[in-house]
Order: sequence, then C-alpha cells, then structure tokens
Amino acid sequence: MANQTRRNFIKTSALITSATIGLTNKSKAAPKYILSEDRMGVLVDTTVCIGCRKCEWACKVEHNLPTSAIETYDDRSVFNEKRRPNDKALTVVNEYPNDYSDKFPINVKVQCMHCDKPACLSACIVGAFSKHENGAVTWDTSKCIGCRYCMVACPFQIPAFEFEKALKPDIKKCDFCYEQRTSKGKLPACVEICPVEAITFGRREDLIKTARQKIKIYPNRYINRIFGEYEVGGTSWLYLASKEFEKLDFPKLGKDPAPGVSEAIQHGIFAYFVPPVALYALLGGIMWINKNKKSKEKEQEK
Amino acid sequence: MENLKPTILQKKFFTPAVIGLTVLAINGIIFLMIRFLWGIGAVTNLNNQYPWGIWIGIDVAAGVALAAGGFTTAALGHIMHKDQYHAIIRPALLTAMLGYTFVALSVMIDLGRYYYIWHPLIMWNGSSVLFEVGMCVMIYVTVLYIEFLPIVTERFIGRVNLPSFLSKFNKPLDKFLRTLDRGLEKTMFIFIIAGVVLSCLHQSSLGTLMVIAGPKMHPLWQTPVLPLLFLLSAISVGFPMVIMESYLTSKSFGLKPETNILSDLSNIVAPLLGIYLAFKIGDMVIRQTFVYLTEVNTESIMFTLEILIGVIIPLRMFLSNEIKKSPTGMAIASFLVVLGVLLNRINNFLVAYNPPYSSKAYFPSFGEISVTIGFIALEILLFRFFVLNFPIVSLPVYSTPQAKFTIRGGSK
Amino acid sequence: MKKFVLFIFVLPLLIYSQTKINVNHKYQELKCKTCHSCDIPTKEKPCLIECPRDKMVSVTQKPEDGPEILTINKIKFENDLYKPVTFTHRLHAEMSDMAGGCKMCHHYNPPGKIIGCIDCHQIERNRIDISKPDLKGAYHQQCMNCHRQWSGKVECESCHELNSSQKSENQKTINSSKKMHPKIEVPAIIKYETPKTKGNLVLFLHNEHIKTFSLDCQNCHSNESCNKCHYKFNPKPEKLKSTLEKHLKCSNCHNTKSNCSFCHSNNPQREFNHFARTGFDISNYHVKLTCQRCHIEKGKFTGLVSDCSSCHGVWSKSNFKHTVVGLQLDETHNEFDCTECHQEKNYKRPGCKNCHEDKTYPKEKPGKLVKK
Repeated sequence: MANQTRRNFIKTSALITSATIGLTNKSKAAPKYILSEDRMGVLVDTTVCIGCRKCEWACKVEHNLPTSAIETYDDRSVFNEKRRPNDKALTVVNEYPNDYSDKFPINVKVQCMHCDKPACLSACIVGAFSKHENGAVTWDTSKCIGCRYCMVACPFQIPAFEFEKALKPDIKKCDFCYEQRTSKGKLPACVEICPVEAITFGRREDLIKTARQKIKIYPNRYINRIFGEYEVGGTSWLYLASKEFEKLDFPKLGKDPAPGVSEAIQHGIFAYFVPPVALYALLGGIMWINKNKKSKEKEQEK
Repeated sequence: MENLKPTILQKKFFTPAVIGLTVLAINGIIFLMIRFLWGIGAVTNLNNQYPWGIWIGIDVAAGVALAAGGFTTAALGHIMHKDQYHAIIRPALLTAMLGYTFVALSVMIDLGRYYYIWHPLIMWNGSSVLFEVGMCVMIYVTVLYIEFLPIVTERFIGRVNLPSFLSKFNKPLDKFLRTLDRGLEKTMFIFIIAGVVLSCLHQSSLGTLMVIAGPKMHPLWQTPVLPLLFLLSAISVGFPMVIMESYLTSKSFGLKPETNILSDLSNIVAPLLGIYLAFKIGDMVIRQTFVYLTEVNTESIMFTLEILIGVIIPLRMFLSNEIKKSPTGMAIASFLVVLGVLLNRINNFLVAYNPPYSSKAYFPSFGEISVTIGFIALEILLFRFFVLNFPIVSLPVYSTPQAKFTIRGGSK
Repeated sequence: MKKFVLFIFVLPLLIYSQTKINVNHKYQELKCKTCHSCDIPTKEKPCLIECPRDKMVSVTQKPEDGPEILTINKIKFENDLYKPVTFTHRLHAEMSDMAGGCKMCHHYNPPGKIIGCIDCHQIERNRIDISKPDLKGAYHQQCMNCHRQWSGKVECESCHELNSSQKSENQKTINSSKKMHPKIEVPAIIKYETPKTKGNLVLFLHNEHIKTFSLDCQNCHSNESCNKCHYKFNPKPEKLKSTLEKHLKCSNCHNTKSNCSFCHSNNPQREFNHFARTGFDISNYHVKLTCQRCHIEKGKFTGLVSDCSSCHGVWSKSNFKHTVVGLQLDETHNEFDCTECHQEKNYKRPGCKNCHEDKTYPKEKPGKLVKK
C-alpha cells in the first residue's frame, strides 16, 4: 500500500510540475504596453491657464457626457471648492491663490497623467489597461470586472467608478482622446479648444525641452521643476508652475515607478513558478519522509 | 487511549441564537438586494477616493486570513503527520471551506461587474497581484471542495436514498460515490500539498495588494515585507481560529472541549506569534517608523491596539501554563489573536489607506455593515448545518478501535 | 542752378537709400547676431534666434499710424463657436501708451516694420515646433494678460460674439471704432501716506517733475496696468514684495536706499527749490533754462560745480555785459577786470576794500541801476 502511494506520488508530482511549467509560458501574455521614444504628451503651463474651463466642456462633448451650455462654464464660483475628476467629468480645473497678484490666480487642470509606468496597468486583474505607442493609457470596457484595484493603485487618484450603476458600471478616466483623435494624429479635444494654449500637445521629449527653455528664460515666472518629468517614472502629461506643486495639490511622489515594488515582489514570488514549485516539492518531501517514519514506527510496534 | 471519530451531531437546528442569526442574515440579504438593483453606491459609503471598503477589508482580507486554519492544520496533520490533531482537521477544513466560499461571495458582491467574475480565467495579467490572489483563491476554493468531498462520500455511501421517482438512480449514484472515494483516497495528498502552497502564495500576496498604493498608505503599515507579515500573521492566526471555533462548537452543542488537543495546539501558537511580532517590530525598527507612534492620531492608536491586543497580550497568555490548562483561557487568548489579525487587515486596507484628495475619511455605511454581519451570520448558520448533517466533529468512540474513514492522505 | 541740378541727381539716390533702410535692415546699425544665429542668413534659412530673444529691437509708432480696426479672422474651424473678433487696434494702442507701447503686443519685433502675430505664430496647433504658442494661443495670451487685470473675467463673450447670436459684426465695429481713449489728466500733486509714524508723508510733486525736469510720461509710466487709473474693479492695491519694489519708480533718479528724509517727512513738502536743495540760486539768472541745459547727462542731477566758470568759461569785460545784472558800471569801474571787484569765484558780492576804505556794497554802487 505504502509503495503504491509512493509511486503514485512521484507520478502525479511530475505531472503537476510539468503542468505548471506549461502554464508559465502562457502567463507571459500580458496587457498591451508600449513605451515608445516618440510618445506624445501634453505640457500644462499653469501660469498661462486662465481658468476658462473650456477644456472641461470640450472633454464632455467629446466623450458624450451630459453637459450644460458652454456659456455656463464662465461661472467661476465652482472654484470655491477643489474638485476632482469623476465619472461625470474626466477633467476639471481648480483654482489656487497667487501669492503676488490676486488678479492672476493659478489655475490647474487635472486629469489622468498617462504615466510611463502606469500603476493601473500593472494592477488591473484582467489587463484592461493599455499603454499605447502615442503615450495614451486607456481602459478596455470589454475586459473590466469592476474590482476598482486601479483606483487603489493610482498614485494620482484618477480612475473614477460609476458607483450608481447596477449594471455595467464603467471606470472613467481621461483616455487622451485615443480612439477618436490622438490615434489618428489629431489633437485631444481639450488641447484643441484651449484658447490660450496653456496645454501644448507634442512629443514628450520636445515638451520637456520647451519647458526647460521656458524655465531658463523666465526664472522668476516658474519654479525650477517640471512635474511629471521624473515623478513615478515619468508621465505623459507635464506641468509647469509658479509655485511649489505640493501647494497646488499635486501629490508628493518619488521617482520610482508606482508599480515597481509590488511587481518586484510579485515576480520574485513567481520567478518562472520556481518558488511555488520548489515549495510544493519541499512539502511533498516532508510529507513523504514523515509518512515513512510513521509506517516504520508502526511496523516496529507490530 | 480513547478514540475520536467524526460523527454527525444529533441536535436541534433551531435555537434562540440561531433565530437571531437568521434575522441578521436576512437583514444583510435585503441590503444585498438593494446593491444588486441600484448599484454599489446605493448601499455603501464608497467613493472615488475610497474605492474599497469593509467588504474587501473585512470580508475578503480578514476572511482569507481567518480561514487560514484550514491550511495550517492540514500542514500540521497531514504533512507533518501529527496524528493527534486529526480530530480538529475536519472542523478546520469546514471553516476554511465556508470562509473561502464567503470570501468569493464577498468579492462577487463587491465587483462592479460581478457577472464577469470569470474574466481573470481567460484574461491574464501576470504583473497584477490581484490576478495572482484571484487565481490562487479560485483554485484553492476548488481544492477545499475536493478536500471536503470525502466527507460527503462518507456521509452518503450506502445511504443514498433519493425520493420516489429518482430512486432508480440510487444504485449508480452509490457506485459513483464509491469510485470517487477510491480515486480521491489515492490523489488526496496532491490536493493537500497544493492547498498549503496555494495558501502560502495568496496569503502573502494579499499583503502585496496594498504595496502598490505606495505613499497613499500610512508608513506604519506600508513596507515591502508586507507579504511576509501577512503570511506570518495568517499562519499564527490559523490555530487560534481553530481553538476558538472548537471551543465555541463544544459550548454551543454542550460537548466536552478537547482540552488536550487544544493545549497541544496552543504550544505552537506562541512561537508563531513570537516570529510574527519579531518581524513586525524588526521592520518597524529598520524603517524607523516608530516615530509615527509619537503622534496621537487614528493610525498610531490603531497600530498600538493591533500590536498590543492582537499580539503581545495573547503571546503572554499563550506562554502561561495556567491559561493553557483552561479551555476558556485559551479561547480568550485565541480570540485576541483573531481580533488582532482582524484589526491588522482592517488597518492595512482601510485605516492606513489615506487617499490624497479625500475630504472626509471613510466609515462603512449601515448597509455595508449589515451585509458583512449578515455574511458572518450565514457562515455560522451553515457551519451549524454542516455539523448537524455531516460527520465533522469528532466524538469519543469506545466500541470500534479504528475509524472507518479518516481524511485521505493520512496513514492507513 | 548748379545746386538744383545736383539735387535732381542726388534725389533718387536719397530716396533709394531711404527705402533701402526701411525694407532691408542690413543697412541699419545692428549686429547680425542680435537676431540671427548663423553667420550668413539667407531668405530661405534666416536662422533666426528662437523666441523669446533676449536682445530685441522694437520699432514704435504713434497710435494714429497703425490701423484703426482689425478683424481677426485668420483662424477658421469647421464649427467655430464664436465669431471673429473685431479688434480696435488704435484704441488699444492708445491705451497701451503708458503700459509699454507697441512692444507690449508686438514683442520681439525685428527691425524695420512692425509685424503681426501671424508672421511668427503658426495657425495650425498640431505642429512640430512647439517652442512658441500657436496663433490662437498667441492672440489670447496677449489679450488675456490685460483683460484679466482689467475685469478679472475670462468669458469669451467680452470679445467674441457667439456664432449663434443675431448681432452682426458690423454693429460692434461701428460702435467700437468711435471709441477713443480720453486724454489722461495729469495730476499736480500726489500725496502718499505710509503707515510709519516717522516721515509718514511723501508729497510727490507730479507737475513739477514733468515741468521742471521735462520728463515724458513713459519715462516713469512704462509698465502701468489699466487698473492704475481704473481701479473700480479692484480697490485693493496690488501686494508688493519689498521696500525695493515699492521705490522702484523713484530709485531711477533718487537714492532710495539711504537718505529717506529727502522725500519722507511729517510735513508737506514745498515745491522744488534749487537754492534750498543745492545752495545754488537759480531764481535770478537761470530761471528760464531747462534742467538739461546744465544737467546734460540724462537722469543725473548731481555733481555740478557751482562756479560760474564751470559753464560760462572765464568772463572778461569784452564778453560780459554788466547791464545784464541790472547795474550799468560807471566809466571808472568799467575799466577794471572783473576780478578786481569780484574776488569770489561766484561773482556774487563785489568787494570795495581794495580801493575804497570807507565804501561798502550795496550801500554805495559802482554805477547806476538799470532795468534787467
């Protein structure tokens, strides 16, 4: 009996090992992630933005979200509170006081930053997020199961969820107008409508060059930092500002990519399935030795 | 030596406590219906800042941890071959099975698109921690069901009695059960080892889940060794959970507590808790996060409570011989460990999570609490049902020296 | 006749050279590298230094010389929300008079003619070179800079008509073309009060600064915002940074770092008095002169020696008519050298002691008084 079990044991163990190795090869299938050198981006110059909120309007029209007439966006009382993008508005503009002139408040447009190393993409259980060649980070409705882990992972707290919907609630976030515009070489809706071109669309590298040039020429106008150049491994959207970004409600982030640590742990545990298989073998070995010991003891007792 | 044999308990199902639990369960189910009809927002206090609430923090994260008794006892009883613990394996297995079932259910109700819960099976994302947890839990639930199957076959072999017109299937079904039983007997060890491996994987990965939240998580908890801490705490909460459950079962059904087995188990708890505490403190010292304990705020208070009530006090209790002699003492100590791990999971998933733009902190709504309590009530009711209908709890048997069926993989 | 023939010959050459200077800035006194980055710029590859250029030459015109009204319709989209703006160029030019003039909008203007935004800023927003804003951005950035100061509002309707609106463009044009910026009233005296107890009062004699020092408005008011006068929208004064900034306007001419009491006092100041301030009385003979006659170096009003000879050279009886001072010397005294009586260098009081022991000036006079 013991012999038979042992043979069985070895046979099945071998089977399981080969099966898991077979699975490993498949598990490399990952969500679409392209980090092109020519990826595009947007440079937001908060010193130029006038807070007209036309971008909010254009974004809603572009994404078929309900919106009031464009004239109603002149109402500046919305700036009394700090707003965040949500399922009904993928981008919002907030206002902050300017220390030197109350006639030129600082307006900051908020939307998805389109990270170079997106935490949402790394976190998503079904790989519903993609990073496209032009830098856009998009979300795929056909895959999403609504677990909201992307919202937990996002260092900028951007993805929004339709909590009110019982069926097919969506994750809503800025998609860089990927489908209708940027994938076809057109400008995102917000960039196109901006009257003062406070948001400039271009190759990310060129944007950084332009931003550096601006800082060099107007050292009094800007603080010497481009937000998004290095934050969480770099983002496609970049910001210039006249005062510290933390005072404009930007999160304080390091240079390490947001998914870095967790991916390192994850890949450490699952390095080609070696640790789990090794653990399996170890436990099997222990079990086998213990079993032998026990049966010997019993035989001796007899 | 008295022999213990898993037996179907012969008791009444309904008691006043059971009726109370039923009311709680129904209350939960009502709120669940609202959730399914009008969306998650209608029942919960969740918002874009706090995407996860107690359904993930308690029902899933703490649920998984508290169901760890299943794999720790399996490892002890089957892999380490400590035969004296066989009496507690079945209740622990049932707890784990029910626990994981409700974890899966909780995930389901928390998912915005619950009907797509099968998506991870075919849409893979290797870098996602949640994907790994999801897959492991899915496989482990299956493994738990398979591990439970022998109890079902034992219950029905020779006793298949279908109602009138189906009675012609009685024989083939009986035959099928016997084949199944034989097959399971030979392969059970695969599932037992797999169960332990899978548990180790997802118990730790549950900790990795929150690592990606980065600076959004309070530094007292945010650490790269979070998966190790989760695994260690899960391992150390496994036996206390079994002790508490065994104690409560015996109290509830008026049985004699299995004091010997329980105090043997208690001997293992102290070192496990000690290791966990050492890692927890060591991590705190290395990352120098103890400075955050000097401030008085929710985080520091919760962290202190978690360590003090959940680890240090029960550790001291489990080191005391007097406590180990008294079932009640052990149960209290175990309860504290369970409470500690529950607090730890709540802290990790809810208290430590400070989204950058929240205007007010998250606190669960009445509906959320109702559903969570309802699920716990249902779980207890189901446990009672299984114990009353299947051979789970071991009772002393004097007539037959050897039980006919034990868990497969055990010595024969 | 000869002269006329020569003129006929020279005239075309003159005209040619004149036009050459206007059109081709090659002949202007400029260093090529001010605008061009390469050694030999061509028309195809002008290799202009990227904007904003730190050294820039800007041309200025009077408001009347520019266009009166412009319709800004260079940017067209399929479904434009708004009608083009009718821009009252002249009115805006007048308004900018004290705020920086033409270069306020026509920044980085190359020498020669004044160029419009479209010459540098691309119409197409989706472009390769993003170093400078596109045309739409450039227009709006220019406008909004002042308009935000002016009203604090950013709504489009203050300049644009909605495309759906029934109002015609012409109506607006007619209305706005009549508008002119009124002449700016020149204040005589501006009283500044500071919260300090010591020297809390500065009486700024605006009138005198203009008349006595013959300053132009732009000498001081080169960067004023409209709100300087039109403060109704925001009565709260702009928050200034430092003492240095507060005194910026004065520190061009005055030493504002020390010598505070020069302007600050607790009593209202009197008008400028050359004698009181410098000890050199100009009320008698120099009263008709402009300051620049003596204070030749612009903006510098100190350091002149009060000796007459420092400006007038050495006087002698041949080049000085004594009647100018209102005293005709009698024949005896007319023979002397000036220095015989005027021992001091400032020629003020003559001394009689050299010849007359018992006589003193002005009791006894060396001649008779005449009209000055």
